[in-house]
Amino acid sequence: MGPASILKYFGCAALAVAAGLFASAGGAVAQEPIKIGLTVTLSPPGSVSQGVQVRDGAEVAVKMINDAGGVLGRPLELIVEDTQGIPEKARAAVEKLITRDKVIAVTGEHQSSAALAGIEVAHRYNVPYVNTNGWSDVIREKGYPQVFNPGNFNSRVAIAAAETIAAMGAKNVLAFPENTDYGVGLAKLIGDVLKEKAPDVEYRYETLDRAAKDFLPALLPLKANPPDVIVEIMLPPAAYILINQLYEQGIAPTSKTLIYDASGIADYPDFWQNVSDSAKYMLVFGLYHPKMQLPELGRQVAEAYTAKTGFEPNRLLFQAADSVFLIAEAIKIAGSTDPDAMIKALEGIKWTGARGEITFSTEKGGYKYHQWLDVPYVTFQITDVNQPVKDTKLVQEAGQPIDLSLIERPN
Amino acid sequence: MLALDLVINGLIIGVFYALMAIGLSLIFGILKIVNFAHGEFYMVGAYTYTLIALAFGVPPWLALPTAFVAGVVLGLVVERLLMRPLYSGYISWGFLRDEYAVIVTFGLSLLLINLVDKVIGPYAYKGPPLTSVSRISLGPVIVSGHRLVAFAIAVAVIVIVALIVRYSYWGRQIQAVAQNRLGASLAGIDTAKVSAFVFALAGGLAALSGGLLANIFNPTPDVGIFPAVKSYVIVVLGGMGSIPGSIIASLGLGVLESFGGVYISYQYRDTFGLILLILVLLFRPQGLFGERVREV
Repeated sequence: MGPASILKYFGCAALAVAAGLFASAGGAVAQEPIKIGLTVTLSPPGSVSQGVQVRDGAEVAVKMINDAGGVLGRPLELIVEDTQGIPEKARAAVEKLITRDKVIAVTGEHQSSAALAGIEVAHRYNVPYVNTNGWSDVIREKGYPQVFNPGNFNSRVAIAAAETIAAMGAKNVLAFPENTDYGVGLAKLIGDVLKEKAPDVEYRYETLDRAAKDFLPALLPLKANPPDVIVEIMLPPAAYILINQLYEQGIAPTSKTLIYDASGIADYPDFWQNVSDSAKYMLVFGLYHPKMQLPELGRQVAEAYTAKTGFEPNRLLFQAADSVFLIAEAIKIAGSTDPDAMIKALEGIKWTGARGEITFSTEKGGYKYHQWLDVPYVTFQITDVNQPVKDTKLVQEAGQPIDLSLIERPN
Repeated sequence: MLALDLVINGLIIGVFYALMAIGLSLIFGILKIVNFAHGEFYMVGAYTYTLIALAFGVPPWLALPTAFVAGVVLGLVVERLLMRPLYSGYISWGFLRDEYAVIVTFGLSLLLINLVDKVIGPYAYKGPPLTSVSRISLGPVIVSGHRLVAFAIAVAVIVIVALIVRYSYWGRQIQAVAQNRLGASLAGIDTAKVSAFVFALAGGLAALSGGLLANIFNPTPDVGIFPAVKSYVIVVLGGMGSIPGSIIASLGLGVLESFGGVYISYQYRDTFGLILLILVLLFRPQGLFGERVREV
């Protein structure tokens, strides 16, 4: 073999090695995961029950997306931060996710106070923020272009609650909101809507500390003059204690007084192990009911969730899954993870998720901004102890008026 | 009728506060430290009662003493491993003991809360009732059946503990060590054993309190924070180390919060005890039944 041949062989070998290096480098870049930040409550004082459900729902969605090949050939990676439901921690969590973990979007927040803190950071850094379950209208009223809201909002609950109360002919209504932006905000909104829809209803609210355990001093005065409807605007575990103490004192449920759960907690995994007899006859604002028609994606999400956790599906699961799917869809439409491109993609999106076709309003100046306005809801009544949601009585179907003849009361 | 309702319910909740606070008062009397993990003994008792009854089908009346035993065992372990250095003769602890106690008990509190959160999970569990009667009428006042039975048990336990501390052989040793640890030691009392006994008893009482209230305040990993804060207030109000003081202060606080929550403001209910605490510290810093001490 002459020198020319040796050189030729070395040259080919060098080229092969170089080609291999480029190929592996290109492959490594293609496989680099797309990071999504998830802020949830995983320890007290916030609602850990909610946080775990949202995390599980998001993980289900990420797995489904990655099993289908990921987004733009890249897998999704969820980076979870515990906010404890505290605004200061939420702010720090989002800051860390954006600056240190370099996430391309943040989602998962389920408590309004924490969401209000987190969106400030997302807005500052121009990172898309998909608000999974912060109901406070103020989150929308801020008008931040980075923030999108595929979940429920207080105005929707207020309208639903007020219409239900008005239809029931209630004259004296008392709300018990928790001492958070969500609780007090919703309590005020219900009052505002009731003034329009049923001006003769006497409505007031009494704020309760979500960290407290004994609500009797707030409940005992009701025995002499019980209201017609008690609106519960609290999250677990305080909500469970309130419902139990109302029952213990014989205040509700009675033939005169029914409880209306405006927080939609009846489908939580720990609901029946905490309330037992107390929850019978409770009317529930429901963002999910097994009798609702779900899109195919929703059915797949439900099956995957039950397989993963052993629990029946609930509305938080679908909201969390939709939040992650929306981010993935935005990346696909934008063709990149550029935040401005993603924000533009989300603004114009029309996509069928786990709960229905999602679009975002661009009407500025109020609660409608970047909000999915047609979030489906129903009203159902629990008619037996330990009753699964699928067996509860649907007294108002999605998009229909309430059917009073279906409402049961204790003897 | 509302006033009667408030008095009865205030006294009931006050007795539960007393059951928690007595243990804390005893620990301070013997060890002269505040146990910042006291609420977690309550939490352990609440979970033991609830999970043993729910998971193993044990009747509530058997699950309750199990909760007490769990608190006793935890108290013994904590005393032996963490508290013993405070009085085992390390010279350096002379000026570091308070800081040590704060750091160690705070750390223990965080450890227990997060351990339970991770091992058992974050969801709340309602403890089974001690009676199937959901409501009992005491004249015009309605009380939950479980709350009334728990109240009776708590009163009985408080009376027993008070009698033990006042008249029994162990009780006289506790009083001696509380008065003067060195003197008690010179008199032949094994002060380490007495400390272990007190810590175990305190843990058992707090755990029992948690078990009794598990049906009312559904246990979560942080369920002990609320009664612990009340206990600190009560122990200072009543006089640190004074059992009668703790009992009186507990009952008073329960009734005060009941009336204040209705006639003044429910939102500021928890501040009434704190305002009272500030006033007591300003004008009677030794508490209602405590003794002024001068150290030389």
